[in-house]
Amino acid sequence: MDNPLLLASFIALTVATYLACRRLYLTVNHPLLNVVALSAGIIIAVLAACDLPYTVYAPARDVMTTLLGPATVGLAVPLYRHRALLRSHGLAILASVGLGAFLAMLSAGLIASLGGLPREVVVSILPKGVSIPFAVEISRIYEGIPALSAAFVVATGTLGSLLGGWLLSRVGIGHPVARGLALGTVSHAQGTATALMEGEQQGAMAGLAMILAGIFTAGFAPLVVRLLGLL
Amino acid sequence: MRILKYLGQLGILWGVYLAGRWLTEALALPVPANVVGVVLLFTLLCLGLVKLASVAETADFLLRHLVFFFIPIAVGLMDWGGVFYQYGLVLLAAVVVSSVLPFFAVGFLTLFLHRRGA
Repeated sequence: MDNPLLLASFIALTVATYLACRRLYLTVNHPLLNVVALSAGIIIAVLAACDLPYTVYAPARDVMTTLLGPATVGLAVPLYRHRALLRSHGLAILASVGLGAFLAMLSAGLIASLGGLPREVVVSILPKGVSIPFAVEISRIYEGIPALSAAFVVATGTLGSLLGGWLLSRVGIGHPVARGLALGTVSHAQGTATALMEGEQQGAMAGLAMILAGIFTAGFAPLVVRLLGLL
Repeated sequence: MRILKYLGQLGILWGVYLAGRWLTEALALPVPANVVGVVLLFTLLCLGLVKLASVAETADFLLRHLVFFFIPIAVGLMDWGGVFYQYGLVLLAAVVVSSVLPFFAVGFLTLFLHRRGA
């Protein structure tokens, strides 16, 4: 377990895989190419090929995620940079993102629990619309499975960034503020990347919405968990 | 000396995160410590108690590579592949519906509030 050489090689493997996938993403830049999903897939394949279980990799995970807390706190920086937008569109932003975050959580939880999924899976799907660091912690609070939550987050982000723009255009939502908020609320960082490709205002709104959706989802989670009778 | 500046900025981010964690535990808040940390740092920035320049570079760097931290967590999926085999359809329905519904909700509510001048 505490083999420093193994630990170092897992970290090296993860960093190298990340850098390679990131470079690929930056050159190809397609919403279907997701750095987290692709990198995790490669590492899982390597571990499986070497017949190593996740528990052997877990100490490396703990070392690598040490900085995740401080990094996530850094999200306050873009939020602060866009505070002028918050002031000018405050009500629209807070009300829309709040409603969106609540609906996303409630509908996902309802379908999952009506579909007969075990409690820990239902809890894990609730925060699927928010950025992974928030989703993982929310999932943990209610005894969900962080890895599953991360997977649902990536699935939602991919779906949103592939279909979001098209869906919004279909129903005639062309306003850049509305499009940005919808993309960021529903599909977090992946939606924000798509919104940025549409334009700067869409991108700024999406980035704001993504962070606020994380805060709202964390705030609404106790209510939704109670509504679904999962306590 | 640049590295010292970055480390100092990291120290501030870390300090705010730890403060968020302490606050969450002390008040037994049912929300994640990192959410409390974001709100805390935003408040400190707004009050001018922390200057943007004293966290910006390190925060930007970490945010640019934020997805790196998700990879080791996502590798944990290797133990849960069975869930997708067993419940694939329900999971797909849950993800699709809970994405499409809020797309329309957010879009239309924003348009509505915008027209009323909010």
